[in-house]
Amino acid sequence: MLNRRDAFRGLALTMGMVSVGFAGPVAAALPPLAWTPAALDAEQARALDAAAELIVPKTDTPGAREAKVPQFVDRAVATYLDKPQAELLKTGLSQMNADARAAHGKAFAELTGAQQTALLSRYDQEAAAARKAWKPRHFFSLLKEYVTIGYFISEPGATLALRYEPAPGEYHGCVPLAEIGRAWAL
Amino acid sequence: MANLNGRSRQENTYDAIVVGSGISGGWAAKELTEKGLKTLVLERGPMVRHLEDYPTAMTDPWDTKYPQGKLPAEQLKAQYPVQSRTGYTVNEYTKHFFVRDDENPYTEEERFDWIRSYQVGGRSLTWGRQTYRHSPMDFEANAREGVAIDWPIRYADLAPWYDYVERFIGVSGQNEGLPHLPDGQFQPPMEMNCVERAFKQRVEGRFGERRITMGRCAHLTEPTEEQLSLGRSKCQYRNMCMRGCPFGGYFSSNSATLVAAERTGNLRMRPDSIVTSLIYDAKAGKATGVRILDAQTLKEEEFYAEVIFLCASALNSTWIMLNSTSSRFENGFGNGSDQLGRNVMDHHFRVGAKADVEEFGDKYYSGRRPNGIYIPRFRNLGDAATKKDFLRGYGYQGGASRPGWDRDLAGEGFGADRKAAMSQPGPWTMQLGAFGEILPYEDNRVTLNHAAKDKYGLPTLSAKVTIRENEKAMRKDMQAAAVEMLEAAGFKNVMAADMGYAPGLGIHEMGTARMGRDPKTSVLNAHNQVHECTNVYVTDGAAMTSASCVNPSLTYMALTARAVDHAVQAKRKGDL
Repeated sequence: MLNRRDAFRGLALTMGMVSVGFAGPVAAALPPLAWTPAALDAEQARALDAAAELIVPKTDTPGAREAKVPQFVDRAVATYLDKPQAELLKTGLSQMNADARAAHGKAFAELTGAQQTALLSRYDQEAAAARKAWKPRHFFSLLKEYVTIGYFISEPGATLALRYEPAPGEYHGCVPLAEIGRAWAL
Repeated sequence: MANLNGRSRQENTYDAIVVGSGISGGWAAKELTEKGLKTLVLERGPMVRHLEDYPTAMTDPWDTKYPQGKLPAEQLKAQYPVQSRTGYTVNEYTKHFFVRDDENPYTEEERFDWIRSYQVGGRSLTWGRQTYRHSPMDFEANAREGVAIDWPIRYADLAPWYDYVERFIGVSGQNEGLPHLPDGQFQPPMEMNCVERAFKQRVEGRFGERRITMGRCAHLTEPTEEQLSLGRSKCQYRNMCMRGCPFGGYFSSNSATLVAAERTGNLRMRPDSIVTSLIYDAKAGKATGVRILDAQTLKEEEFYAEVIFLCASALNSTWIMLNSTSSRFENGFGNGSDQLGRNVMDHHFRVGAKADVEEFGDKYYSGRRPNGIYIPRFRNLGDAATKKDFLRGYGYQGGASRPGWDRDLAGEGFGADRKAAMSQPGPWTMQLGAFGEILPYEDNRVTLNHAAKDKYGLPTLSAKVTIRENEKAMRKDMQAAAVEMLEAAGFKNVMAADMGYAPGLGIHEMGTARMGRDPKTSVLNAHNQVHECTNVYVTDGAAMTSASCVNPSLTYMALTARAVDHAVQAKRKGDL
């Protein structure tokens, strides 16, 4: 079980992350991945690690990295997704690296935050267009789905970004939303 | 296997045998043991001890093996192709409480969704917990309309037993004074939310004959001394009931009846005991016991008793009887009427409507209420105003809620704004889903299939059950009336839906050994005794002569308690 102390230890490992807008060469400054992938190759895992934090960034509550979402997605690829879905995600992550190299000569994780965001925005638009046109699913839609699930079911996501009450004890049917403040995790 | 003699026969002899430990078997066990009978309960599945054997009860969302506790598609397809048809029964939290289909085959001549739980406690661990009485109208309908056969009992015969069962199990609900949904012995009702309250006020103001009440459910809201003494406590509003409740907040055999039976000192529970047939003594004209196959050792064994209660669930009690053939009962035990296995009923559902609610955006709720609102039947109540072009009626279960973070996972955008939006509840929605009565049709039946054997070499069931014109006509009305009410309440974007229904999906199988007055047209008499062998009682869903439109478990429990009372008196008088 992930307890809160572990979650914060995870945060400490990611403190060296690239700040958005910094355009200089960063490859040498990248810390080693804080986790060992089960299904993804090293470069896919790095792309996932960077993309997850952009999809669910740290704000006033923890972000995807701190919630160990990249590990969750990797595990889903290893043990849960069916073959076509797993392939879609893996080739999508490789595509991110190929696109990053074509545009900037570096793998996705080595791009600046602005470059990464621009690339993800393009994928997001492509995914929306594919969805509207009933075309096969875009990898970014699947990636976003699992990053989002992984975040909101994580302990930091469920207990800090949302409200979580394992045994509420009572039901009140008409309470000011302001008193609760956030959506219930369950 | 030869009959046992002497000492070993004595060791395997009890005053009573109960087959099955689910919602009916638990009641038989409690009543028999409390009335002083040494009782053996035979359960085909493994032991499930209250508290100890609910491995997922306290699992947090971040501790599941799979995302959101969903099982991989390949595993569902290979192991649970039928059990997963409901969409909600089999997941990482609950799968150990449902059978594996690959290990428990049956034949679907037409699609038939047979959802089963083989374990101590049976489906009482995973049931929907909605708890309603059949009404006087339900017991009279067959006779009045010339459908099938008449029930041999009336509401008044069962009313005191409904009282008795409700007091013990604990039912929260609101008395409404409706003749077609009798009041009961209720603990305080759960609370409606803002939208449901508005819906109630608006719909009741518009339609005189429709009532919106809080769902009546077998959850404790104000536990009695008796319930506390069993180790049960108030519902904690976790809504994780199907994992087993460590608080004993809802009624199950494991948390209540079996605990009560255990403390009498008269109970012997034998799990892993597949009852394969009844032993019949033609000379005495009585059943003397049952044969079992031990699911662990694969050894056959016999147990003996003066009185036997079949509470194995409708289709499995029927299977035991169909498989109990002898020179006296060539076509199955007590099947002189040829009604055994016929008249399969269920409740048809998955039809209704939902709507968006643009009001109450600044309001929310706290707690996860394991219950919703209920709209009792309002069709065909005996007057011209409620008369429709189909027989019987339906009720709605429904409710209002605000969706959470998972409402639009594939929607556009990413980053901080999307994260913030998903951390807030979505707008209110309200939905209504109808549950309708299915009439008893003789050719809706299960039969014994000797050509297809299970892994124990036992014959299996074959099912051929369909809904007919009456149910199809009712479904149109079930959908239209839901739309009408949501619109009358002023809600927006009302969407009607009929998501399709296959028999069995309601998990309310009934009717395959029906009660009746005449041994020529029914299997059981007015006290649930097999007409042709009165020391065998069948008190699960098999006994039902008609289905009503309300959830049936309370009626099985009341019939069981009443039948045990009869059996114990008959035994004392030497009538069995």
